[in-house]
Amino acid sequence: MALQLTDATFEELVIKSEKPVIVDFWAVWCGPCRIVGPVVEEIGEEFSDTAVVGKLDVDHNPEVARKYGIRNIPTILFFKNGEVVDKQVGAVPKQVLVSKLEALL
Amino acid sequence: MDNQIQHTKIEVFNSLELIARQAVEGFVTGLHKSPFHGFSVEFAEHRQYNAGESTRFVDWKLYGKTDKLYVKRFEEETNLRCHIVIDRSSSMYFPVLNHPTPEHPNKILFSVYAAAALATLMKKQRDAVGLTCFSDQLELHTQVRSSMVHYQYLLTELEKLMKFERPETDAATDIAGSLHHLAEMIHQRSLVVIFSDMMDNSENQDLNFSALQHLKHAKHEVILFHVKDKNLEENLDYENRPYRFVDMESGEVVKLNPVEIRENFQKSAFNARTELEQRCGRYGIDYVEADVNQGFEGVLLPYFFKRQKLY
Repeated sequence: MALQLTDATFEELVIKSEKPVIVDFWAVWCGPCRIVGPVVEEIGEEFSDTAVVGKLDVDHNPEVARKYGIRNIPTILFFKNGEVVDKQVGAVPKQVLVSKLEALL
Repeated sequence: MDNQIQHTKIEVFNSLELIARQAVEGFVTGLHKSPFHGFSVEFAEHRQYNAGESTRFVDWKLYGKTDKLYVKRFEEETNLRCHIVIDRSSSMYFPVLNHPTPEHPNKILFSVYAAAALATLMKKQRDAVGLTCFSDQLELHTQVRSSMVHYQYLLTELEKLMKFERPETDAATDIAGSLHHLAEMIHQRSLVVIFSDMMDNSENQDLNFSALQHLKHAKHEVILFHVKDKNLEENLDYENRPYRFVDMESGEVVKLNPVEIRENFQKSAFNARTELEQRCGRYGIDYVEADVNQGFEGVLLPYFFKRQKLY
């Protein structure tokens, strides 16, 4: 299950996390985000022990989106020790995301 | 040898898919990832509108509902150009059989069936396919097309390869020269599938590797099917008696008892294969060991299934 992140909880759940984190930046009106959303949820379940998987609605949480310069959605950022280490823009097959995440484990 | 391809043997490949692993440049919409990010087929993402850019791709419905200005971006998908390359030098007509069949083929028959299967698969996917044959130079280089007429033409050309017991003259191999030449002739990114025993006259295998690298450098995806009769060519599985070995390309004759040299021969064959495999790995070339004794289905099917699993 993916965490619902907000501007307020981002620092605590992502930056301070000891596990690698992937964050899906999305919006309700974005078609491709609805394709990526369930995939991210699945990854969240599969990697629930080893990684943190979160989703952040860019409409309601503009601060984080601005901080990371998110201009395209869906964008998925990969964090390790609070730093962005990888990025994936656009709808891509699950395997692409999984292999990027596995590289961080 | 039957002079015609048995169609029932290759029809099974109608139901398979082979998808290019890297981006390819095709000319119509298809299954494969294109290097271009266009505004056409698969809707992939929303990007914020930049002041001054064309309003053509703005998502106006979204603007109407939410007052947000976003541009739709699409992933372009395209079809594949596949070049099937067959080494038709004399050594490919080994083992010398009176009636090679798809079940007990020599190396050329194996390659012909594998190529026909591949062409069938590509035709089903509506991908374009072309055929190139070489020995000491390029002997045939067809266009890549996806039409039914072209497919029939390719099958006819493949059948021609089966017609000779061996080429009329002893055809030597120049893998490096032929592949360099081919690399210069293909302009768009393509899938290049090579069937060869990688046996040639050059002392220096580095030349062959540099030719393979040339293809990779031109951004083609390369699959090398290393065709061989593993029992006879690697394990030297002959009876314990003296044999006359004739080099099919130079005609040179050596008389010896295979059992005496078996151990050393196996070792050097193993080293050569390992080096080829490792260097292919280093260049990002798919190396597939194709033992003719397994039949072409026994080699192609596991390979395709393995590839499909990667997606």
